[in-house]
Amino acid sequence: MDFLYTYIVLAEIYVLLGLSTNLLVGIVGIFSVSQAAVFGVGAYVVAHLMMAADPLSFIPSLVIAAACCVALNILVTLPSLRVSGDYFVVTSFGIQLLATAVFINWTAGTGGANGLPGIPPPDVFGLSIETTQQYVMLCTAASALGCLAFWLIMRAPFGRLLRAIREDETAVAAAGKNVLRAKVSAAALAGAFAGTAGGLYATFLSFIDPFSFDLDASILLLTMIVVGGARTLAGSIVGPFLLLALPQVLTLVDIPTTIAAAARQLIYGLLLIAFMLFRPQGLAGERL
Amino acid sequence: MLALQLLVTGLVTGCALGVVAISFSLVYATAKIFHVAHAGIYTLGGYLAWSLMVWRVPLPLAFLLPIAACTALGALMQSQLYARLARRRATHLVVLIASLGTLSVIQNIIAAVYTPNILQFPLDWSSRMVAFGPVRLNWTQLLTIVVSVAAYAGTMWFAHRTILGKRIRAVASNPMLADITRLQPQTVYIYVIAIASALVCLPGILVPLDLGLQPYNGVTPLLTATIAMIAGGVGSITGAFVLSLVIAVLQNLSLLVMPGEWSIGVTFFIFVIFMLFRPTGLFAAAR
Amino acid sequence: MPRVCIGLAALAAGLVITCASAGAETIRFGGILPLTGPGALIGTAEMRGVQFAVDQANAKGGIHGNQIEVQFEDNQAKPDQSILSFNKLTDLQHVAVIFTGYSGPTLAMAPLATRKKVLLVNAGAQADGLAKASPYLINTLPTIGGEIEVISRWVAGQGKKNAGILFENGAAGMAGRDDYLKSFAEAGGTVVAQEATQFGQTDFRPALLKIADAKPDVMLVVITAGLLQMAQEYKQLDLKFTVAGTTFFADPSTIADPSSTGFVHTQLRIDAPPDLAAQFKAKYDTDMEFFAKQYYNAAQIVLATLDKVLAEGKPVTGETMHNALFEIRRFQGLIPLEFKTNTASVPMDINEMRDGKDVLLKEIKLE
Repeated sequence: MDFLYTYIVLAEIYVLLGLSTNLLVGIVGIFSVSQAAVFGVGAYVVAHLMMAADPLSFIPSLVIAAACCVALNILVTLPSLRVSGDYFVVTSFGIQLLATAVFINWTAGTGGANGLPGIPPPDVFGLSIETTQQYVMLCTAASALGCLAFWLIMRAPFGRLLRAIREDETAVAAAGKNVLRAKVSAAALAGAFAGTAGGLYATFLSFIDPFSFDLDASILLLTMIVVGGARTLAGSIVGPFLLLALPQVLTLVDIPTTIAAAARQLIYGLLLIAFMLFRPQGLAGERL
Repeated sequence: MLALQLLVTGLVTGCALGVVAISFSLVYATAKIFHVAHAGIYTLGGYLAWSLMVWRVPLPLAFLLPIAACTALGALMQSQLYARLARRRATHLVVLIASLGTLSVIQNIIAAVYTPNILQFPLDWSSRMVAFGPVRLNWTQLLTIVVSVAAYAGTMWFAHRTILGKRIRAVASNPMLADITRLQPQTVYIYVIAIASALVCLPGILVPLDLGLQPYNGVTPLLTATIAMIAGGVGSITGAFVLSLVIAVLQNLSLLVMPGEWSIGVTFFIFVIFMLFRPTGLFAAAR
Repeated sequence: MPRVCIGLAALAAGLVITCASAGAETIRFGGILPLTGPGALIGTAEMRGVQFAVDQANAKGGIHGNQIEVQFEDNQAKPDQSILSFNKLTDLQHVAVIFTGYSGPTLAMAPLATRKKVLLVNAGAQADGLAKASPYLINTLPTIGGEIEVISRWVAGQGKKNAGILFENGAAGMAGRDDYLKSFAEAGGTVVAQEATQFGQTDFRPALLKIADAKPDVMLVVITAGLLQMAQEYKQLDLKFTVAGTTFFADPSTIADPSSTGFVHTQLRIDAPPDLAAQFKAKYDTDMEFFAKQYYNAAQIVLATLDKVLAEGKPVTGETMHNALFEIRRFQGLIPLEFKTNTASVPMDINEMRDGKDVLLKEIKLE
């Protein structure tokens, strides 16, 4: 059962990340490939605070990590406000690669390429979360809260404002709404989701290293929301569950071992192409 | 002298990078596609050349046949994938992901067929050294400089002096107008990607000739080249080439003052600052 | 919502099929190695080493009549993939033994191995932290600290007092760098420069030039890939200092290339008899190099342990395999080795590369 539970925990963590990315990319339209970097910062901050000489417990660490990620996300999306969509793509790539370089080389802060082992299990209101089963409960609660928050926001005036900005930014500005503030708020919120996901990830694996937060991870996130479905809550859930399952399901296909791994990545790539050609709105989303 | 040798090695890397930047820029400026699969074509060119050399095909053919193959593959990608996506009015994100999927397919076919081991080209003369005073270069490095500069000059000539080149620039500057005035942008896009693929095959062969072949090694040069393209000003061939040289040299020289592992980080850091204060690039719109 | 249901149903079906296929007659082991990505070079060699040993055993009728099967999972050298694969292999396939490589993923899986009592067999990673990571983790080769101590003393003893360190920016490389700093100083030398390179990088020129600028007598190296390129660039730049390293140097193409003449290194003694190496080459069209041999050796250790467990009529679990292994303690695979602790002690040599051959300079006995 551990295997199934592990899969569910990771999928739910990625659901939070999916909500974050969907908010930023799908709804506001800021094309960011640096969400894995923010995820990483959340993970490292929580790890640090919980392993410090005077350790903090889980919930306060999570709050601080979320706050850091909010600030970071605002900073990271600032260039998008000055630079038009296409240029921002490359800037975003640059930010992600810069973050990976920092994670790998700043040994004092992140343990460098060795990573940070021995992260303690979280304690929620006095209850210590140790077994995978308890983790599933924690993550289900967290992701449920996240989905609820997302759903409420989208129904609120703020959500409608964000959609309007996506449709026609100039008209919204002309109507007297503060576009800049709306975008920045959305980015901040996305940061909070990502930071929480990072904290859960770090404590679940009890070991983090920079290679979990690199460009490939950011691209996986993008793929999740595009395949799952952009701009919708259902898409943010379907995408992570499906894409995490895919490599496991593909292992059932019988391929000679020497090329098996490359063959599976190949199938993965073909699926991406097929989706983009024939169903770009993903399984459960709206057209991007 | 350390600084001089680093400078010169940086120039060599920069030249190769420059051709990648120019070719990528051609596609991006004209068809507005973030064609990351370009890195796959770059990688494929090297491997095809290696196979041909292992089968003892005469050297000139071993260089030309991969170029032809890459050209064909690029044209195929445009006509079968990108053109279809454009017809369905796909957004940039969708095109990017399709391109990423294509890149993954190419890289993994290469990895499955050639194994992930680092492969060496079976040539004797490629690593023989030539000394220019205190600076030492091998023949491959020299060849890289010559070929890259020639590629740059050739592209400039093509863009400014030939009819096709001017047609490409026209389409790039105003696709909608081009559509109406029978410039046939879709055909132009195929030409552009074909030319770009042919160009990128050159460093695709020369760089691994010096450093060895690996299936997953195309992405970092592509990203650095993209930075050069944007910092130089999208649409400026000279900008892309010059900035590639600048970035490569800076990365090498930065070793004098800081540990090697930070040099890539610093590049991206400078780029991000650049984007905040001068997003249109140094040579913007100057073609 | 219906779409979500379809997706989840497909997933559930997949998992059911996997469970159903796990009940066959053969004895199954697991292997979690990088089969794609930059680590694939070594991961594939490791996989082949294990598979080769298992195929040979199966051809002879298996162990006590049982055929052996190894299920390999690709972790791309990433810890989260490793943990998913670990749980999958133990929960769905109920494997008792898992082969692993690479320090990062192994360290990540070690606590799980302790908790679930699965024998984790490492025959390639050498980070010092592996020695104490878990009672269920066994290392069939010494950690890098031991080798570095030996080579540092040797090199200092040859009169080289100033050293530059070239290391790979990863778990093994950084551990090696720290060990060099300590051991070389203890041997009476001074480190005058250190440069890091990325795993998979093949352009070592800037790093080599920077180290050369500090004028060392010797360059101490710990990189796991790209060695041939490094040797060639060293030669091209006409550098004169000695180059020293550990068993990572034992790459056939590097040894064969004339650029590596003069390189010295410790070499954990592991040799395949020529006909075995020839069979391997015939099957996989590539030489049986260090990692393939290491994992062949490790597989033989596991098979010998399995033999004992089955002979005693015990069930094949991680716990019984673990206990049996320590009861046997001494193994004769490709080389004799002994498990006094979780890490095997193995004799090593100091070799020098000369004109295409790796020549023995001195034999060292390890504690």
